[in-house]
Amino acid sequence: MDRHFDEELRGVKERLIEMAGMVENSIKDALTALKNKDTESAKKIRNLDHKIDKYEIDIEDMCVELIARHQPVGSDLRFLVGVIKMNNDLERMGDHAVNIADMVKYIEEGAPMNKITTIWSMADIVNEMLKDSVKSFIESDPLRAQKVCERDNTVDDMRNEVIRLLLTYMIEQPKTVNTAISYLLVAKNLERIADLSTNICEDVIYIAQARVIKHHAEERK
Amino acid sequence: MIIETAKLNLYYGKFQALKNINLQIKRNLITGIIGPSGCGKSTLLRVFNRMNDLIENVRITGSVFFDKEDIYSPLYDIIMLRKRIGMVFQRPNAFPLSVFDNIAYGPRVWGMNDKMVLNEIVERSLTAVDLFNDLKDRLKTSALALSAEKQQRLCIARLLAVEPEVLLMDEPCSALDPIATGKIEELMQELKKRYTIIIVTHNMQQAARIADEVGFMLLGELIEFDSAKKIFTNPRDKRTFDYISGRFG
Repeated sequence: MDRHFDEELRGVKERLIEMAGMVENSIKDALTALKNKDTESAKKIRNLDHKIDKYEIDIEDMCVELIARHQPVGSDLRFLVGVIKMNNDLERMGDHAVNIADMVKYIEEGAPMNKITTIWSMADIVNEMLKDSVKSFIESDPLRAQKVCERDNTVDDMRNEVIRLLLTYMIEQPKTVNTAISYLLVAKNLERIADLSTNICEDVIYIAQARVIKHHAEERK
Repeated sequence: MIIETAKLNLYYGKFQALKNINLQIKRNLITGIIGPSGCGKSTLLRVFNRMNDLIENVRITGSVFFDKEDIYSPLYDIIMLRKRIGMVFQRPNAFPLSVFDNIAYGPRVWGMNDKMVLNEIVERSLTAVDLFNDLKDRLKTSALALSAEKQQRLCIARLLAVEPEVLLMDEPCSALDPIATGKIEELMQELKKRYTIIIVTHNMQQAARIADEVGFMLLGELIEFDSAKKIFTNPRDKRTFDYISGRFG
């Protein structure tokens, strides 16, 4: 029997998927602006972030109302608790996109580290992780979610590699410090986006299977 | 474990109302039994103090152990059983007697006529259900003059007067408004420190609020029995989830 409540839950899901789409675009646009040193596009990211913030407030409001009015149980309850957390994670990702866009103005034309490819490979993986985490939510697919979590270590390794390369530039050519610090912050923000994608996947697994995998909780039992 | 059933079946004539129930009730917990109307939850509750014996054509197979003794063995003392396992019903069933005489009724049946002791029992029982301060100057007034909630409290106090170990509650709040329901639920939380409580309820949220362990019954079967946390966050059986989430068609 399909309940009216099911329709409302679907409404929440659709809204979160729309928000996730905006966050994905925001991150992609921020990285493109960085690559092209396009300060105008960078400004638009901030406007998009205001929209994302509004979605966050709306979705949280919808979840709180449904919990109060329907007192959900079982997977309905796990779904709403999961959405509240994912909502928060997506909003944070939007902030990280703004942080990346804010770096565009500090990148100097022709700085030697503009050629560091690891940061762009890292960006590709982070984009894929976010895309797959959202897909695992859309399709309620814990297996896909699990695979995203496994990629988080790769991103951490790449961030360390980027930091090592940037440090070398900073030591050898002190005038590049400004640009190098900007890239360092970009790498840090990308790494956080990967962490937040992993959080989303942990929530997808919690919703589908009631398993808590974060902080290696299952191994500690 | 205070109560345990093994392969319990119950028939009303040819109709099988309970099917192969294996259940363990732990001491000093509130155990909730939930399920749709006619699923056998009240029948199961009445098995525990042999109230079904009063119904004609009832046949029971399997065992029910209370404190490791089979209560359906021929030599079991049913009167003592009903003293140790008391019952509260849907509607408060205060006797048309004074508040005092309602509480003193049980102890008198058990031969207690010492006025001083009865006074003490009445005070202790009414205090346990948080009625004493309210009623101490009105012990001689009719119990039927009290509000429904207070009558239900009085009925619980009447059970406590004979010092039971288990309280069976069959929809104890269904005749009460939400505020009175909340007060009875608070009382149950207090009482579980000293007694074991088994409650049958239609009200899922009530079971979620107060029960430590929950059994879900359907068509005479115990479909699932687990901690309330597990039942209400991650039930094992789809039928349990369908019922607790209101999907039951």
